[in-house]
Amino acid sequence: MSGEAANMVSEAGIVEVPLAQTGEGIVDCELVRWFVKEGECVEEFQPLCEVQSDKATIEITSRYKGKVSKVNFMPGAVLTPCFFGFFRVGETLLEIMISDGDGSFKLEEKENSQREREVLATPAVRSLARQLGIALKDVAGSGEAGRVLKDDVLKIASVKEAVESDITGISSTPAETGETVPADEITDFDKISADRVEQMQDDKVIPVRGFRRIMAKTMAAAASVPHFHYMEEINVDALVKLRAHLQLQTRSKLTFLPFLIKALSLTLVRYPILNSNINQDASEIRCKTWHNVGVAMATDSGLAVPNIKQVQKLSLEEIADEITRLSKLAAANKLTPDDVSNGTITVSNFGAIGGKFGSPVLNLPEAAILAVGRIQKLPRFNEEGRVYPASIMSVTLGADHRVIDGATIARFCNEWKDMVEHPEKFLLSLK
Amino acid sequence: MRPAMRVLRLQGFPIFRQLQLEERLMHKSDENWCVFNNGTSPPTIVMGVSGSPEELLDVDAVSRDGIPVVRRFSGGGTVIVDEDTLFVTLICSRKAIPSLELFPRTILKWTGELYKNVFLDNPDFTVHEQDYAFGQTKIAGNAESISKDRWLHHTSFLWDYSPARMAYLTIPRRAPAYRLGRSHGDFICKLKDYLSYREELAELLEDALGRHFCLERTRLEDVDEEEYKHRTRFVELLRSPI
Repeated sequence: MSGEAANMVSEAGIVEVPLAQTGEGIVDCELVRWFVKEGECVEEFQPLCEVQSDKATIEITSRYKGKVSKVNFMPGAVLTPCFFGFFRVGETLLEIMISDGDGSFKLEEKENSQREREVLATPAVRSLARQLGIALKDVAGSGEAGRVLKDDVLKIASVKEAVESDITGISSTPAETGETVPADEITDFDKISADRVEQMQDDKVIPVRGFRRIMAKTMAAAASVPHFHYMEEINVDALVKLRAHLQLQTRSKLTFLPFLIKALSLTLVRYPILNSNINQDASEIRCKTWHNVGVAMATDSGLAVPNIKQVQKLSLEEIADEITRLSKLAAANKLTPDDVSNGTITVSNFGAIGGKFGSPVLNLPEAAILAVGRIQKLPRFNEEGRVYPASIMSVTLGADHRVIDGATIARFCNEWKDMVEHPEKFLLSLK
Repeated sequence: MRPAMRVLRLQGFPIFRQLQLEERLMHKSDENWCVFNNGTSPPTIVMGVSGSPEELLDVDAVSRDGIPVVRRFSGGGTVIVDEDTLFVTLICSRKAIPSLELFPRTILKWTGELYKNVFLDNPDFTVHEQDYAFGQTKIAGNAESISKDRWLHHTSFLWDYSPARMAYLTIPRRAPAYRLGRSHGDFICKLKDYLSYREELAELLEDALGRHFCLERTRLEDVDEEEYKHRTRFVELLRSPI
C-alpha cells in the first residue's frame, strides 16, 4: 500500500495517526496538502493527505472509518515518519474518532496492539514479522535495550519452519503410513538409471508446430543451398533527418524499414536477378516481375515472414501501413496463407531487437535476402577531414551462389546504398 | 495476458499542457499510459510540488529573460526543459503490475529494469539514488506521484542542453551523493552522444514496454478532455526590488 496510516488507539476511541513509513525507510516528508478537514467523515482507504518525499508525492490513506477530530499540521510542515514502540519520533498527523459498535473487540485489539507496541523494533522489522506471522512479543531482542532486530525475527522464522517441517516429515514416513518404498526409489547415486536422470532434469518439451515447423523445414532446405554473404555500412544521417521530418506529416508509423524496402524495390528494377528463384534441378532461373518483399517478424509462436505484395507500386506510406497491418496479424497469429506465400525477396531487420551483424539464411525459394543491423553512432570523417558522429547502419546481403555472383551483389549493393544515403534520389523514380 | 497501455507520442508539446494532461490521466483515467514528448517549446523551468523559487532559481535572471516557471503536481526537483529535452511518462494502475508495491523505491527499481532493456547497448546504465545514469553521469531525472491504486513516473532525458539555460538553476542544497559537488557540465551527459536519433528512445522504450503491456498508439485528439481542477500552474516570481 502506498501509505496506510498506522494508529494508536486511545481510551476514548480516538485514533492517533502518525505518518507511517512511505517505503523509503526513515526520511523526512513534507506535508503537501490535506484532502480532509476537521469534522469530516472518512471511509476506510479514503485519501487523507498528500506528502512529498525526495522525489515522489504519495497519497496517505486511512485505515479506519470515522470522523476527523483533529488535524495537527499545516501544509508545508516537515514530518518524520514512524515511531519505535512507545518512544515516538514522529508527531501525530491527525486524530480520527473511529466508529465501532463492539467495545470488547476494540478493547482486546487495543491490548494486543499495546503489547506489540511496547516491543522496541523499527517499522521495517515489524512489517517483516507480520509477513512471517511472528508476534514480536514472542521474540527475544538482541539489540540495545532489548530491541528486536531483523536477524532475531529471521531466526525465529527459521526455527518455526524447521519445527513445522519436522512435524510434517514425522507424519509421512512410510513406517507410520505402512507404505512400502518403491523399488526404484534408489538412494545410491551410482545406481540411478538413465531414465531417472532425465526425469530429474525437468526438461521442457515444445511441440514443433505452426511457424516453428515452417522455419525448421525452410532452414533445413536452405542448408543445402550454397550461400555467400556481402556486408556493407550505410551512413543514414540524411535518412534520419528525412524520416523525422516526414513522420510529422503522416499518421503512418514511418520507421526506417519502409525507406529501405522502397529503395530495395527501386534498385531491383535494374537487378532483376536478385528478385528471382531457381528451380529444383538448377536448370532455370525465373525473374519475378512483382516485388513481393518479405519482412521477417519475431512472434511468440516463432519466426513469420509475411510479404508486402507489389512494392514497386506502393508509396512509402502504403508500405508502412502494410508493415503495421502484417505485424498485428503476425502477433495475433492470424496471418493468412496468401500473406506468407509468393514472396520474392526478404528483409530481416534484426537491428530492431539488437545486434549489428548477421549471416542471414535464404527464405527459399528466393535467391537473395537483406539483413539490417542496428543503427549506431560512430565516429567518421567528413569532407573536411574532421571527425563527427555519424549514424551508421550495418547490412548483410545473403545470396544463392547458384544464381547470383559476387560482382552482381556488390554492384546492386552500391546502388541501393547510394539511394539510402541520398534519399532525395527517390524523387527521380517518381512517375 | 498483458494489460493494455495507450501510447501517446507528442512532438514539441508545451510542457505546461503536458503536465496538465498527465495530471488528468493520473486522476481521472483508469487506463495505463505512456506519454512521450519529443522536445518542448518555449524553454520552461519546471519545479516540483514544493520548494521555493528564491532558493532554487536565479530569480532575477529568470524574470529578466521572461522564462516561464511551472509548478508541477509531482514531487522532486527543479529542471529547465526545452526543445532538446525528451520526456517519458508512465501512468499505471496497481492491477497492471500486481506484484509491484506502490512505493517510490520499488517503482524506481521496476522502471530501472525497464530502461536497462532500453539501453542494452550501454552496459553502464544504472540507477543512482533517484537518477538514471551512465556510469557516474546523469542522463535523466525522475519524479513520481503515487495514489492508492495508481502511480505515475515521469522522466526527462537531456538529448542536449544549453549551459546558459542551466545557469538559471542554482545547485540544489540536497544533491545526490554521487554528484560529488560536480558542476552541471561534469555531472550530466547528453543522450545524443549515445543514441543515433531522438525517436530511437521512444522506439526502444516501446519495444521494452511491449514485453509487459499490449501497446496501442493513441492520438492526442482521442484522449478524453475531462473536467479537472489541475494543480499544475504557472508561478509568478517576485523580483528583488532595485
